[in-house]
Amino acid sequence: MASRLSFVIIEPSALPANSTTIIFGALLFTLLLALSGCIRESDITAEQRAHQLSGELMCPVCDGQTIDGSNAQIAVDMRLKVRDLLDEGLTNAEVRDYFVIRYGEEILAAPERSGFNLLAWIVPVLIVLGAIGIALLSIKNMRRSGLESQSIGGTSVAIERNQDDLSDYLAQVDRDLGMSSDTNLSLNADSNSDVLKDSNETGISEKANS
Amino acid sequence: MADLGVMALMLGLALSAYSAIGAVVGEKIGMAELVVSARRALYMTTVAAAVASAALINAFVQNDFSIAYDADHSNTLMDRAFVWVAFYAGNEGSLLYILLALSVISAISVWFAPKRLARSMPWTIAILAIIQLFYFGVLTFAASPFELLDTVPLEGRGINPLLTHPGMFSHPPLLMGGLIAITIPFAFVSGALIAGNYGDDWIDVARVSALIGWGVLGTGMLLGAWWAYTILGWGGYWAWDPIENVALMPWLVLTAFIHSIMVQKRRGMFRMWNVALLNIAFVLAQLGMFINRGGPVVSVHSFAASTLGMIFLVFMLASLVFAFALFLWRMPQLKSDRAMESFVSREASFLINNFLFLSVMAVTLWGVLYPLFSDLARDVSVSVSAPYFDRANGPVLLGIVIMMGIGPLLPWRKASARSMKQWFVWPTLVGLIAIGVLVALEIQRPVAIFSFGVLAFVATSIAEEWWRGTAARHRSGDNWPLAWWRLVNGNRPRHGGYIAHLSILMLALGIIGTNFYQQRTDGALALGESLVLDNYRIEYVDNGDSSRPDRIAQWAEMSVYEIDPDDYKQEISFAKAQGSSGFTLKDSTLRPNDELIDTIEPWHGFYIDFNMASVRSGIRSTVVEDLYVIPRDFLADGRVSLAVSINPLAWWLWASGPFFILGTMVALWPQAAVERRPARKRLKDESEGEI
Repeated sequence: MASRLSFVIIEPSALPANSTTIIFGALLFTLLLALSGCIRESDITAEQRAHQLSGELMCPVCDGQTIDGSNAQIAVDMRLKVRDLLDEGLTNAEVRDYFVIRYGEEILAAPERSGFNLLAWIVPVLIVLGAIGIALLSIKNMRRSGLESQSIGGTSVAIERNQDDLSDYLAQVDRDLGMSSDTNLSLNADSNSDVLKDSNETGISEKANS
Repeated sequence: MADLGVMALMLGLALSAYSAIGAVVGEKIGMAELVVSARRALYMTTVAAAVASAALINAFVQNDFSIAYDADHSNTLMDRAFVWVAFYAGNEGSLLYILLALSVISAISVWFAPKRLARSMPWTIAILAIIQLFYFGVLTFAASPFELLDTVPLEGRGINPLLTHPGMFSHPPLLMGGLIAITIPFAFVSGALIAGNYGDDWIDVARVSALIGWGVLGTGMLLGAWWAYTILGWGGYWAWDPIENVALMPWLVLTAFIHSIMVQKRRGMFRMWNVALLNIAFVLAQLGMFINRGGPVVSVHSFAASTLGMIFLVFMLASLVFAFALFLWRMPQLKSDRAMESFVSREASFLINNFLFLSVMAVTLWGVLYPLFSDLARDVSVSVSAPYFDRANGPVLLGIVIMMGIGPLLPWRKASARSMKQWFVWPTLVGLIAIGVLVALEIQRPVAIFSFGVLAFVATSIAEEWWRGTAARHRSGDNWPLAWWRLVNGNRPRHGGYIAHLSILMLALGIIGTNFYQQRTDGALALGESLVLDNYRIEYVDNGDSSRPDRIAQWAEMSVYEIDPDDYKQEISFAKAQGSSGFTLKDSTLRPNDELIDTIEPWHGFYIDFNMASVRSGIRSTVVEDLYVIPRDFLADGRVSLAVSINPLAWWLWASGPFFILGTMVALWPQAAVERRPARKRLKDESEGEI
C-alpha cells in the first residue's frame, strides 16, 4: 500500500509513460505473487491456534502480560482451557467470548472491532490518513508560496536560484558520471572539466550555507 | 552517610534555584557577572548530584541497612557487582540517577556550547536549572532515597531478581539517560527562541545532542529487548507495554527530528517544524517520566506504589504549556528560507517520513490512552496490548521502511525522471526478485514475503549508493576499502545514517522472522525423555541444584540434536493428528540420522522473599533461527515443564545493535576541520571572560 502511495506522489510528468507502465506492471505482478502465497497458506495445528489465541488473552493477575507469556498458575490453567475449547470444536471467536463472559472485556489483549471499541481501531486509520494528507498538503503549500515569492523575489533571490539551478544540473552531471551527490572535492579536482570545477565551487558555497 | 546525601541534595536544590534566578535576572538587568555565576552554579549542581549518588552507592557497598532504600533493594548476599544496579533499582534511586545524568550532560553541553549561542545561553541555563530544580525538589521533599528506618534490620530484602542480569547494568541507565537527554536540545532551542535567536545557530548543538539522546535511548531499548528475551521467560522481546511505549514515542519523534534537521541544515527549511518536533519529544519524555512514576496505566515495569504521579503529571502539563506557548509566540519568526520545489525531492520525502513517524507515535499514544478513555467514557475496562499495536502500527512501520529506501536516493530540491529511473531500477528489481524467490521456495505468509521484498529493496538502495560512490573513487586511484572509507568520511552524517539504516533493516528482519514464522510447543520431560519440534530433538540429560538462601533454583542440561524428519515419520503424523506441533519421546535411543549439535542449560529460580520466578532460557542461536527453551517449572515428580520455540532470524535483532551504535557514532563524529576550531577558540575565550 505504502509503496503505491509513493508512486502516487510522483507527478505524472516526472516519469516517462513507459516506465510508469513498467512499475505498475511490476507491482501488479508482486500483488499476484503475494496472492498466490495467500492461497497456499497451509492449515495450522490446533496447538498453534491455541498459542495464537493465548497471545490474544490477558493474564488476569499479571500486569500487562498475555497468558501466552505468563507463568502464573491461572495463565497455565487458562492455556489448557483454550486448548480444550478448541478441541471441542469452538471457533476462535467463541473461545474469546467464553473468556469475555467470565472475565469481562478486559481479558482481551486488543479491543474487539465492534460497538464502542470500533473507535480504538478507526482512530489509527484517521491518524495515518490525516498525517499523510497534511504532509502532502503542506508540500503543496510550500511549493505554491515558493512560486509566488519567486515571481516577486528580488535580485539576490534570483541569483541564488540561478546558482541553485546550476548546481542541480551539475549534480545531475555528477550522477551521470557515476559519482554520488556527495562526491568530495579532491575527486572533482582530479577531472579537468571546467563544468565540474564550477560544481565544485557551488558545492563549497552550499556547505558554507549550512 | 545519609546526612551527607541529604545535605548534598539540599545544596543542589539551592544551587539550581540560584542558577535559574541568576541567569534570568542577570540577563534582564544586563549584569554579565551574575550570568557567569549562574552558569558556574549549574556546573556545581553536578557535584551535588554526584556526592548524593556516591553517598547512596557507598551505603550499598557498606550494607548500611539503616537507610530504607538500601534495605529494600539490597542484602548481604547480593553480588557486589550489582551495587550499581541496586542504585537505580527503585523509585528514589532511579530519580537520583536521572538527576545525576541530567546534571552531567547539562554541564557538558553548557561547557561546550558554541560561542555564537552566547546571547541565548542565559535562557538555556535557566531552563536546565529549572528542570534540575524540579528533580532536586522531588528528591528532597517527596522521594528521598536517604529516608532512615527506626529499627535497623539485620538483613536487607535483596535486589529484585529480575534485575540480576548483565543487561541491567546498561539498559535502565541508558533508557533513563536517553529520555532525560532530550532536555538538552530542548533547552538549547527554547533558549534560542526566547532570546530571539532565530537563525540556524542552534542547528549543530541541537542535532548533536538530539542524536546522542536518540542513540542512547535506542540502545537502551534494544538492550531491554535483549534482556526480556533471555531472562523474562515469555519468549518475546517487545510487549508494547505502556512503559516500553512511552520510551518508544519520544524516540520516534527524535528519529523524525534527526532527519528533518538535515533539511534545515542543508536547505534552510522546516525550521518551525524542527522546533515543534523537539517540543513534542520533550513533552513525551515528561509523559514517560509521569507514567513511570505511578501513572494511571498498568505495566510490568512501573515502580510500585509510587505517590509521585501527581507531581510528575503537573510537571508534564507545565512543560506542555511552556513548550506550546513558546512555540506559538515565536512561530511567526520561524519561516523557511526556501520553498519546496517538488514532491519528488529528498526534502519532500523527509517530510512524509516525518509524518509517518509522528503517526506511529500518535497511534501508540492512542493505544496507551484508550483504556483510560474507555474507563471514563463508558466505565468498561479494556486492555490494549501487543495484538492491537502489531496490527495498528505494523503497516505504517513497513511504510517507513519503504521510505527509507526512497528518500536517500532522491536528490535535494527536485528529482528528474532520468535520475529516478537510474537510481530505482536496481533496488526495485532486486526487491521483486527476492519476492519471486521466496514465493518459488513456497515460503508462506504473503505479508512477510512482501516485507522481505521491501527489505531487499532498501538494502539494495544502500548498496547501490555505496557501490557507485566507492567505484568512482576507485577509478580515481584509491583501493577498494580506502575508497569506501573516504566515501563514508566525506559525508559522515549521511553515511552514518546508512549504517543506522542497515541496522534497522537487520532489526526488521528479526521482527518479521519472529513474528510471522515462530513455531512453539509445550511439554514436560522426565530425565532421559526428549521433545521433538521441527528439526530439533531436545533430550533432558541431567539436572542440578543451585539454590541459595534467598532462592530455590535448578538447572537442566539438555542435548540438542538435529534430526532427519524421515526417521520420525510415524510420530510426526501421529502428533499432527493430535493437533500438536511437537511430541515427546519416552526412550533415549537415538535414530540413525540424529546429530548432536549443542548442549543448553536452561535455569529456573524462585525467589522466596519476592514470591517471584526468574529464568534463564536455554538458547541455541544461529543466523537462521534460535532454538529457545524456557524452563517454566521443575515439577514435584521430577519432570521439567518446558515451553520450546523456534524463533527464525532472531539473531538479527541483536546483531543490529552494534551497527546501530556504529552508525550513530559515525554520524556524530565531528567533522575535524569544522568542529575543532571553535573548541580551541573557546579555551582562549574562557580566560577572557565567559559567555
